[in-house]
Amino acid sequence: MGKGQEGKGKRGKDWKRVGVFDKMGKTTEREPEMKMPRNWKRQRSLWRWGVLFSLLPMLFILQGKGEGAEIDFRVGFTVPLTGAFGKDGGLVKDAYVFWKETVNSRGGIEVQGKRYPVDLVFYDDKSEPQTSAKLMEKLITEDRVDLLLGGFGSSQIMAASAVSEKFRYPLTSGAASTLRLFDRGFKYYFSLLGKAPEEVRGCVEILPTLSPTPRRAAIIGANVPFSADAADGFKAYAQKIGLPVVHFELFPMTLGDYNSLLSKVKAKKPDVLLVGSHSLVAIRTVKALKEIDFSPWGVFFSYGPTVPDFVDSLGKDAEYIFAASEWTPNLPYRDDFFGSARDFYGQYVKRYNRSPDFVEAASVAGALIQQQAVRELGLTPPLKDPDREKIMKFLYSKRFDNFYGPIRFAADGANEIHPPLVVQIQAGRPAHVFPPDLAEAKPWFPMKPWKTR
Amino acid sequence: MVLFLQSLINGFLLGGIYAACAAGFSLAFGVMGIVNLSHGDFVMLGAFVTYWLFVLLGWDPFLTLPITLALLFILGLFLQKLALNRIAGAPPIMSYLLTFGFHLVISSLALRAWTADYRTLNPTYAGLNFNLCGLVLPYSRLATFSLALVLICGLYLFLYRTEMGRAIRATAQDGEMARLLGIRIFKIYAVTFAVSAAITGVAGSLVAQTFVVYPQMGLPFTVTAFCVVVLGGLGYVPGTLFGGLILGIFESLATTYLTAGLSLVLTFLLLLIMLILRPGGVFGKGALE
Repeated sequence: MGKGQEGKGKRGKDWKRVGVFDKMGKTTEREPEMKMPRNWKRQRSLWRWGVLFSLLPMLFILQGKGEGAEIDFRVGFTVPLTGAFGKDGGLVKDAYVFWKETVNSRGGIEVQGKRYPVDLVFYDDKSEPQTSAKLMEKLITEDRVDLLLGGFGSSQIMAASAVSEKFRYPLTSGAASTLRLFDRGFKYYFSLLGKAPEEVRGCVEILPTLSPTPRRAAIIGANVPFSADAADGFKAYAQKIGLPVVHFELFPMTLGDYNSLLSKVKAKKPDVLLVGSHSLVAIRTVKALKEIDFSPWGVFFSYGPTVPDFVDSLGKDAEYIFAASEWTPNLPYRDDFFGSARDFYGQYVKRYNRSPDFVEAASVAGALIQQQAVRELGLTPPLKDPDREKIMKFLYSKRFDNFYGPIRFAADGANEIHPPLVVQIQAGRPAHVFPPDLAEAKPWFPMKPWKTR
Repeated sequence: MVLFLQSLINGFLLGGIYAACAAGFSLAFGVMGIVNLSHGDFVMLGAFVTYWLFVLLGWDPFLTLPITLALLFILGLFLQKLALNRIAGAPPIMSYLLTFGFHLVISSLALRAWTADYRTLNPTYAGLNFNLCGLVLPYSRLATFSLALVLICGLYLFLYRTEMGRAIRATAQDGEMARLLGIRIFKIYAVTFAVSAAITGVAGSLVAQTFVVYPQMGLPFTVTAFCVVVLGGLGYVPGTLFGGLILGIFESLATTYLTAGLSLVLTFLLLLIMLILRPGGVFGKGALE
């Protein structure tokens, strides 16, 4: 727009309206501007600044989006950092941070010869399923993440995955395995773990191989999705091998004192105690067992003893305790990114100065196969819905083998080929004791009675 | 029979801890009419004081009790002067909001400072026990129970045998009359809340010996304290001992002879029945009578 045109514009009309031309009696182009009243100058100045300030944020937004769109993969997850599963959820967060740092230390995810760093966006779901669902929707609709990862706990992931399914985001989870996750007909939910009852299969199958052979089992479990399913799994496999169950009981997570519950179990004189648990339940159980002087031959947990806190909290009382597991560093698995299972373990210990739990390994493995998917499919950020559909199909299409072990997803999203393991706390660390062909140590059995330790 | 007696003993020992945890709650309500929703967080803080003194300095958990008493007394005094005095005489909803705010702040700060890790105390005698005619009695629970009794008796003597205690009771009975008689009721409020926090903190130190310690352990103890004082009589301090024992034994027997899940349901059912039939507690001396 030229100067002549400016005079015909709104601005020109304003000049006339304030009477500049009339007073001066001249028509040069410069004069009116020179003789502009003060309030107009202020208005124009304000107008310019106003435009500038209103444009600046937009520029930043556009720039930000542009950068994110061209450079970063935004990866989101919700995880319990407080509440009943705060400790366990913290492990999963550590796992993803470790994965991100490892990826970014190599320049990012390589797609078609170019590297795209990972940017993590995560929230604390406070161990509340409804909060997890709400935050998952925020990640998708507001934060506009490219990929999603699973948090911790069956209830939380059950709620979160319903949202990710609705928005057609593949969700890989390494820390949830209740049966109900797999009977919903979902296409976008992938579990690196086996189903909860399957996870504890090893803990029952080891029993006939032990000496003395247990003849009576008691089963208890916290009445929350994973633990209850694990307790059911213990029962089903015990029946399968013909092991009588003398006591079966589910109890609320809110139960703080286990002495009376375990006194009742003790009175039934089981040889082994099988517990559907999370880490808090496992710690409370061992404390109560010692207090009431209940020493069955073996105590097996579905989850808890592999969490580093377990040994830290209980010290020598943690010895002899068995637990189900899905991964240990001695396993002969490897990939091109982390190297062997032992290499992954070493890098993890170097980063956090502690051993990784199997849910951490499974969570990293979930992130790793999504990384593999975008790389092999040649997808660059920002990902669109069709890209995520391709990832979903890719995850179903093949078997993956990485440091975590074999992964192949069944139609319901469960990892159908991962073998369940048994570990036992020996000399302050979880030693892999079953199945025997992969084991690094022999099981210590029967458990040394509390009074003789 | 052995199982029945064992269950009774378990409940009895647990009840002592419950009573110790609830005494401060009852005191604060009885004198100031405050339902302290951050009560359980004082239990948590007491537990952490003991935990850290044990872990960092190697102190025996029982020797940490005076430190917990002093620290929590100061915290209680601070909170009272800072905030609670400002809502004295305000509708009860104000105290609910304020103390719930305390709960959120204290538990969040604790979580930030100490993370969500589960911690346990493992002194050399942890979990040790002796056998009496087939009944197992854990030493730490017995010691905890005994100290809980001492705590409640000490509080009783403080309230009924000291000048300050009489002033507190006078304020509890009629604040205006107490003020007319020359009692500085804001000072009484401050001391009351500080004593309430201090004995709750000590109860927390005792709890740490048998329970798992973590930043969010507090809220269940607030609920338990509420149940205990309803059973014993809201605001009637000696009643908390019996309230605690009733609750502990009831929970234990229900867990043993029914299921652990039902025991919590029945506990709240008992609470409901008490509130309907005997709102003043088993002795009828509570504030709701």
